[in-house]
Amino acid sequence: MKIKGVIITHGELGKAIIDVADGILEQKSEIECFRFGWDEDGTLIEKQIRKYLNANKDSGIIIFTDMFGGSPANLSLRFNSPNVEIITGINLPGILKFLTYKEKKISFKELLKIIRDGARDGISIISEYLGDRKNGKRKN
Amino acid sequence: MEKEKINITNKLGLHARAAAKLSHLANNFSSNIFLLFNGDRVNAKSLLGILTLAASVGNDIIIEADGDDESEAVSGIKDLFERKFDEES
Repeated sequence: MKIKGVIITHGELGKAIIDVADGILEQKSEIECFRFGWDEDGTLIEKQIRKYLNANKDSGIIIFTDMFGGSPANLSLRFNSPNVEIITGINLPGILKFLTYKEKKISFKELLKIIRDGARDGISIISEYLGDRKNGKRKN
Repeated sequence: MEKEKINITNKLGLHARAAAKLSHLANNFSSNIFLLFNGDRVNAKSLLGILTLAASVGNDIIIEADGDDESEAVSGIKDLFERKFDEES
């Protein structure tokens, strides 16, 4: 099953994350970006997203959103199905994990966990990190 | 197993784009490949793993490969470091 990514965020955040990830990987990724504007109620992008999902029924879709409980995430919950999964709180490390692992021979579920763990592990308090490094507790 | 010590000579060290190039290259080999630095050992096929080394210009790191194409892997990666990741002309 081919895996495709969609990002739905407040404002330009999603597009910015994808642009930076593409700059790092020196590629143009095919992640579909949807912006949720401050003055929108979501009706229009819901239609656009449904259209995209209908056209990609044979693929596994991961919808990335910026924050659990925010409007983009709340809208995304409506699309959850066996082949449409939603990951909230996405960041640059998480998107890089997605882009570098989506073609690998792993299951859809495994890929979701790798992305989630990559995004979480990308957040560090540097003083703790350096302390763990000194004490040999750091995981890679 | 093949091992080689190499000095980082590009100005920005193992930053995001360099790590992306390195992990991309490493993924072309079937061998298991690791980078060793400052007591840490990370998978050279993982972009985010490489970044956790926070290795800078002037640091020495060890490339370690184990598998059918270990020699090619080490020499290919060494070459990328020596070319300064093609980011300085």
